Amino acid sequence: MNSLADRARAIAANQQAMLLFVLLAMIAFFTSQNPIFFSNAVFGNIISDWSPIVLIAVGQAFVIISGGIDLSVGSTVAISGVISALAIRSMTEDGHSATVVLTLGFLISAATGLLVGAINAFLITKAKMVPFIATLVTMGAGAGLAIVLTGGGPIGGGPDAAIQLSVAKVGPFSYPGLAIVGVVFLLGLVLHKARFGLYTFAIGSNEFAARAAGINTQRHLAKIYTLSGVLAGFAGFYYYLRLGSGAPTSGLGGELQAIAAVVIGGAALTGGEGRLSGTVLGALILTTVTSGLIIINVAANWKQVVVAILIAVAVLLQESRKNVKGKSSRSLSNLFKKK
Amino acid sequence: MSTTNSSAPLYEVHNVSKAYGSVVALSGVSLKIHAGEVIGLVGDNGAGKSTLVKVLSGAHQPSEGKVLLEGVERSWNSPREALEAGVETLYQDSGLAPHLSVSANVFLGREKYVKGILGKLGFLAKKEMDLVAHENLERVGIAVPQSNRSVSQLSGGQRQAVAIGRAVSWASKVIILDEPTNHLGARQAGEVLSVIKAAKERGLGVIFISHTLPHVLQVTDRIVVLRLGKIVADAPTSTFDAESLLGTITGLID
Repeated sequence: MNSLADRARAIAANQQAMLLFVLLAMIAFFTSQNPIFFSNAVFGNIISDWSPIVLIAVGQAFVIISGGIDLSVGSTVAISGVISALAIRSMTEDGHSATVVLTLGFLISAATGLLVGAINAFLITKAKMVPFIATLVTMGAGAGLAIVLTGGGPIGGGPDAAIQLSVAKVGPFSYPGLAIVGVVFLLGLVLHKARFGLYTFAIGSNEFAARAAGINTQRHLAKIYTLSGVLAGFAGFYYYLRLGSGAPTSGLGGELQAIAAVVIGGAALTGGEGRLSGTVLGALILTTVTSGLIIINVAANWKQVVVAILIAVAVLLQESRKNVKGKSSRSLSNLFKKK
Repeated sequence: MSTTNSSAPLYEVHNVSKAYGSVVALSGVSLKIHAGEVIGLVGDNGAGKSTLVKVLSGAHQPSEGKVLLEGVERSWNSPREALEAGVETLYQDSGLAPHLSVSANVFLGREKYVKGILGKLGFLAKKEMDLVAHENLERVGIAVPQSNRSVSQLSGGQRQAVAIGRAVSWASKVIILDEPTNHLGARQAGEVLSVIKAAKERGLGVIFISHTLPHVLQVTDRIVVLRLGKIVADAPTSTFDAESLLGTITGLID
């Protein structure tokens, strides 16, 4: 009778299938508007854009599933890229080899991200600030510090090998891009197959129950925010490789994209729910839209608007799905609760 | 099975007081429970039941007084320490994570891992946990259709059954049940009471907190009445009837 509607509903119920459908529809649309879209060059570009976004989105997924939020990831990308770039420039001037310089540069970027994540963890679990405020503070501080350290411009002066590393080698993937795929895959196993992920879901689902079951919820949350920081540090170094410089504008708005990818991917902002495969697809949808808009000649600044609309649509879809299931949706006031 | 001598108390609080700032929630409370004994803890709202439960379960430390398990003084720094010592608590209404499966809830904090290096890395043996959770729940007399379903898909009665099953199947010495029959229909409440009787037969000490006095009278060996932070009665259940118990709780009978 209304089998078409039923089938549409069944697809809508399967989040991953729906995301894949949206992605393919977008590719079809952009290709129909401009056939150049369907090319290795564009796909390579999309993957290059996707790689750092998916890193911070995966960190954000752990945070959001635990019932929190991390607004600082964009700034952390910038500050870790900048600090790494300053170190790389100074080591290169001292005449160290590209391998040594880039290896240390990577570690410095990751360590900077770890430090910001640890500060978030401290503010949330020890100083008992709500995640929204704690990470808003580090977001502002990180962005400001990145500008102070650079004077606002990019920091170059590193080895040429950096840029070469970001060239696509395996299909649309560069070697660092492949490493990111590996990291994301491993974290998917950690989230869905291992204890770390289970505790993340448990805390987001019912923190009281998790604590009553003997889980050290504060320590676990500290690890999650630290992980998010480290992944932002990885992303900061990825931007450095791609641009050959560290700029305070790299990662600008990254928090919005990360949150968007997670929410589009079907995770609930109220915690306890989500799949990393959804986040990966969500990030891919975002970067596909961004590239597509440029190729069909929509001004790049519309990007933020489109991302915002995508978040709104994803949240509305989630709410309507919950209402269909008859589940009461918990309020977002969770985000403002003390941990 | 408990290995303690049945005449020595299994779990005991001695002269315990607890104050929150200037508010005194418990003052000079002493309570003993023996292996294989079910005690009912009753009292009006604000009588101090919740506070006493928190002290017994390790969630709060008393301001004064001692907690003894099998005659040894214990100072719980967290509920985890009490759990590991065999004291299990079912909290009112908030014991389960609704997004997780039945088995994940039953095993929460006590997960089983796959064999080998992956297990060392924290990879979970989900199938095994599903199976064992099902067995454990059946053993304590609770039938839940599939243990890999998420708790949010269960009815209120089933959720409560899982929460109780979880607590009873892990408890090795003492089990504290805070309002376990709340919001349950007559048949489901009856099932909960038979789980309590089964726990008693296994030699556990059961502390049963409830506002539903007929349930308390039906299943307990002894009743302890709290009023305004103090114990006002501690006597065998046979010495109470519904009327005298209510009178003791409200203070109409002293």
